[in-house]
Amino acid sequence: MTAGDAPFGPAAVLACALACAAYLSGALRLRRRGDAWPWPRDCAFTAGAAVLAWGLSGALPGGPFTGHALRHVCVGMAGPALLVVARPLTLTLRLLPPGGLRRGLLRVAHSPPAAWLLLPPVAAAVDVGSLWVLYRTGLAAAAHHHPWLDGALHLHMAAAGLLFGAAICQLDPVRRRRSTALRATTLLVAGTAHAVLAKTLYATGPPGTAFTAADLRAGAQVMYYGGDAVEVALALVLAVGWYTAAGRRLRRAGGAVRGRARRTPPACPEADGGRATGRLSRPWAPGYGRR
Amino acid sequence: MGTPERDADPQHPDARRSLLVCALLGAAVMAAVDEIVFHQILHWHHFYDRSTTAAGLVSDGLLHTAELLALVAGFFLFADLRRRRALSPAHAWSGLFLGLGAFQVFDGLVDHKVLRVHQIRYGVDVTPYDWAWNLAGLALLLVGAVLVVRAGRAGARGERLP
Repeated sequence: MTAGDAPFGPAAVLACALACAAYLSGALRLRRRGDAWPWPRDCAFTAGAAVLAWGLSGALPGGPFTGHALRHVCVGMAGPALLVVARPLTLTLRLLPPGGLRRGLLRVAHSPPAAWLLLPPVAAAVDVGSLWVLYRTGLAAAAHHHPWLDGALHLHMAAAGLLFGAAICQLDPVRRRRSTALRATTLLVAGTAHAVLAKTLYATGPPGTAFTAADLRAGAQVMYYGGDAVEVALALVLAVGWYTAAGRRLRRAGGAVRGRARRTPPACPEADGGRATGRLSRPWAPGYGRR
Repeated sequence: MGTPERDADPQHPDARRSLLVCALLGAAVMAAVDEIVFHQILHWHHFYDRSTTAAGLVSDGLLHTAELLALVAGFFLFADLRRRRALSPAHAWSGLFLGLGAFQVFDGLVDHKVLRVHQIRYGVDVTPYDWAWNLAGLALLLVGAVLVVRAGRAGARGERLP
């Protein structure tokens, strides 16, 4: 399989389009009933679905390895990060009527295995570790010959990217919140492992494959700098979260806040999802954030 | 340096934090300038030098990622200082120069000479480049040191530097 071939083609585009339509109509329903749902989240989800669809189905530019690296950045990093920022789980929980389905989804989201997987170092090991296995064992060469394996690997990359993004950003309701320091350190280590892998690919391709030197170099640089862009985006999400939380603590302590005071009064005492009080409220409950 | 009571008061400048945050920003800015100017514009450094050791590769990857994260973190920590009106401009400037110089010297000694990740320029005698590089770094460190002493004296007299 070369980079020009699409692992899924129309099926991937259809799945992404359906997910996007479901998200947008869900957000519309929330707004119609009076809930606040900021529009940038709609944009993030749409962009994420588009990036994922393009990566999975489009004819990517450049040589075979460059195309592969571009697909890796789109499907495993940029697309999932954009989807995570849109808080799809929060939207789903807010839309579902009280009942078995919502309880079930919450039970899964709050289950011990989910908490383990969402522990930032574990999520990073799954995400970047599988990348090292892919490029530094015979797996990449095997995927070259078996299209089904290639497809499965791309699905795994997307899922691992979602897991890593969710663990780092921690925007959706989870069982245990992890500290900013742990998440930032994990991002640093994962970014390092990714950058080192990209640099070694510049000199030596995956074993069992025969890409041209020029193709390897271009692909390695796409991976290196594409990774940078996604790392900075994730770091921004982390930093904005920290800055907002610090501002909240400051206001509670009655400290001086430079510039304008808060533009809108808090909709309800737990408008931040309970982060300020350290007690998790239920931001997905119907009517939440409405006053 | 602020006493504990002063640090707790959000209206008072936090000298130590101002210095540290700006040193972080300075080091990250110098790393970014190094990468953009010498790697990407001049193409003097190589993206990957085949003689690079494993330790060199890891340290390079770590520094590169740390630089990106430090730029983001430094910006938000700086904004937080301003929001709390805890920024001490004199200490901030000295920290910035100390950070710029510290990274330059670290890069010149550890990356270029000890780990030999890459050299400043290839195909020429690198000695004058090394001297220029490290002396520039030392000069920046010196400016930072002078500024930090001045800021400390002004702080002791209770003045505000411009």
